[in-house]
Amino acid sequence: MSKQQPIELFMPPNILKAKLGGDSHSIDFAAIKRAEAAIEEIKAEFPDWIAEDIALLTASCGKFLSEGDGNAVGRLFRASHDLKGQAATFEYPLVARIAASLCQLIETTEKPEAINGALALAHVEAIRVIFREKIKSMSDRTALELTEELERKVHAATERNAAAK
Amino acid sequence: MNGYRFDKLKLLVADDNQHMRKLISTIMKAFGTTSVYEAESGEAAWQSLKKIGIDIVIVDWQMAGMTGLDFVRKIRNAPDSPNPFLPVIMLTGYTHIDHVRLARDAGANEFLAKPVTVKALMAKITSVIENPRPFVRTKTYFGPCRRRRNDMSYKGPERRAAPDAIDVDGIRPVGSGKTGSHGP
Repeated sequence: MSKQQPIELFMPPNILKAKLGGDSHSIDFAAIKRAEAAIEEIKAEFPDWIAEDIALLTASCGKFLSEGDGNAVGRLFRASHDLKGQAATFEYPLVARIAASLCQLIETTEKPEAINGALALAHVEAIRVIFREKIKSMSDRTALELTEELERKVHAATERNAAAK
Repeated sequence: MNGYRFDKLKLLVADDNQHMRKLISTIMKAFGTTSVYEAESGEAAWQSLKKIGIDIVIVDWQMAGMTGLDFVRKIRNAPDSPNPFLPVIMLTGYTHIDHVRLARDAGANEFLAKPVTVKALMAKITSVIENPRPFVRTKTYFGPCRRRRNDMSYKGPERRAAPDAIDVDGIRPVGSGKTGSHGP
């Protein structure tokens, strides 16, 4: 059923196109190559970057376990969400996957105090081990089994939380 | 080569993670953009917008305080907004279609999923330059048209849409239950 609500639709002038020019029919492959080369140059910094992100995650998890309030959960979620999004770029795809699992655990649990602290900590510890052992492959058997086990536990927790609603 | 004058672009990256800011800045500078500004919060980004004539904003969804969604809503709707039409690319680790809808309904022009790649970033920047969406004003929404299709001839009432109403960045809705519930 449609709502009979008036709308105004208009096209603002494309100031950006006028400013930057360019030919819309092709991709600037030279710029892409330059950027990929620039990423290669800063790759040496990636281990330090991810180490800092993991340290922040660890500290956030510690705060969450000791305080457990909404603010602590928010910090833990943001730290894990950053790793979910960035760890693959920093060459640790399994860290990204475990961080995604931790995000799911937090997101699908309605109240902060109901989040399984031991399971959250297990995620953080797994991330620390994978980084410490420099496991960059997606197919490292032990790391993959650990990841899958954490995902299974979160999946089960998600189902329990959904059933409890 | 498309020859964009990226050197003329003023770009703002708002993300509370310094590594993501540096990654995006590195890519944009390699594209040729010399004026890349960084903000570590939504509040700082808002202050930058008021001082600098920014052309494009890339904003992270998950920030403490003012989130990316809050920020884009403020750009579109605040009476003191320096530019309600400013192109905004929402950067996020979320990839579910419901999150795409939320970003779209807040007024974001594009949705850039992490992990960020050079090609994906170039594609989003190119899209806001080459394929700007028309703007829509309704009682409850002001921002880029939430349909990719630019039907400028449409003059009728607000449409509550069928499943084909959403086509954001090639992400198609799964099933038709809730699809298109947010109108034009």
